[in-house]
Amino acid sequence: MDDIKTALTRQIQNLLVEALKASPEMVTPELSFGDLPQWDSMGHMEVMLALELHYGVEINADTIANLVSIPAICSYLEANGHA
Amino acid sequence: MPEITLEIVPAVVIPTHLTGEVQSKLAYVDQGIAKAVVSADGLHITLHLHQQPNSAERSRLEEKVQRVVTSLARGAIQPKVQVLEDFMDRPVRYHQDPNDVLLARGEMSQEAQGIFTLGPLVTRLIEFFENQFLGLAASFNAAPYRFPTLIPARYLERVNYFRAFPHSLSFATHLREDLDVIDDFAQHAACDHEHLLGALNTSAESFAPIQTLLSPAVCYHLYFSLADKPLPGGQLVATAVGNCFRYESFNLRSLERLWNFTMREIIFVGSKDFVLQNRELARQEMAQRLEKIGLAYRVESANDPFFIGEFRKQAAFQSAFQLKYEIRASLPFKNATLAVGSYNYHQDFFGRNLNISLPDGSGAPAGAPVHTGCVAFGLERMAYAFLAQFGPEPANWPAVVRDWIKTSAAPQNPGGA
Repeated sequence: MDDIKTALTRQIQNLLVEALKASPEMVTPELSFGDLPQWDSMGHMEVMLALELHYGVEINADTIANLVSIPAICSYLEANGHA
Repeated sequence: MPEITLEIVPAVVIPTHLTGEVQSKLAYVDQGIAKAVVSADGLHITLHLHQQPNSAERSRLEEKVQRVVTSLARGAIQPKVQVLEDFMDRPVRYHQDPNDVLLARGEMSQEAQGIFTLGPLVTRLIEFFENQFLGLAASFNAAPYRFPTLIPARYLERVNYFRAFPHSLSFATHLREDLDVIDDFAQHAACDHEHLLGALNTSAESFAPIQTLLSPAVCYHLYFSLADKPLPGGQLVATAVGNCFRYESFNLRSLERLWNFTMREIIFVGSKDFVLQNRELARQEMAQRLEKIGLAYRVESANDPFFIGEFRKQAAFQSAFQLKYEIRASLPFKNATLAVGSYNYHQDFFGRNLNISLPDGSGAPAGAPVHTGCVAFGLERMAYAFLAQFGPEPANWPAVVRDWIKTSAAPQNPGGA
């Protein structure tokens, strides 16, 4: 189970590296909105759109406001059957 | 002369919550457009044109219109509209556009599109509202500031303003320091009414590179004055009134939408809790003041009018995090509302971009960026909405307004200089 969780976290880290154009060593498993200059309002929306594209999840106002850290994104994807 | 129109079917159906936004952005598509109308169902666009376009011009126009539509509407995220106050059912006494009466009485005169001179009636009304906002500011012990009308381009660059709002910028420049250029201007400068719609006939090369703009907002000046250092004391409440400039092309209309308008702001800088708590306190106190005045309005979540490249993402972000609430006053004559003020929270955007940090001992980690917020009131719009609800006759105004104006009237013959 832990392995699955770790794999998902890694997937999300990679997704953030791409969406935020950040260097991989900066995108830690606990990263939150605002921790990197790139993860600002525009960066956040890039992350949301990347999630929509890769996982087919629905992006609405609640999703946007809640998915503000890698752990929160992982929990949301797990709850929506993506683990 | 027959009206020249061009009908366009949008490449993407425009969601109903975006029809107004698309319509206002079509003003910036081409100088040949005099007016644009998006149908309420989002299925049709009608452009009213100054001249009949040829085939190539028509194709270019259609391509640019579709660019606006797809950029705003494709993949649009439905905003979450949260209504915090709703007093739209307060009785109003007037059901006409006050604009015509004010113009006819000389209480208002138009200098150019979006630029108006205001007479004593509207001026006194604005003073009344200013007094209300100053009272609100005093309840926070807000420190008074005065800011210039000009703002350096490098400041706006630092907060990404050019990317977010390029369409509404107003630039300030002067003649180049060159005797030949200045002499030539003095001898030949004239407004060309035949070909340039009354614009100066001076060539662009005569002007110096643009280093300053006309300020689009009041609070930016405060943030820039605090840049690149820790915030002394860890928190600040300030207030200022200033001229603001936002060009809105053919959307400029009477006092409803001015190019040059006046904004009173109360600005909060500090920790997240400090800013959010004060923004909420300001809203509650303002609600009491508006109740005494009897204004019909509601307060609801909103977003800023970002340009097309930024709109979809920024507007969705603002909506999701409930960063902006607008006071929308009723305009009974057209069964619509007008934003007359707003309660804004910028998170740590200005703190991060301008390197304004919280000092040690402020409760937050030392060096963390400050959060900012402001409450802002458009003075001309506030007066306009009031006049739209109560009319131009002071006898029909609520006593609280009428009495204040009567008792605080400026002396007719003040002590002379």
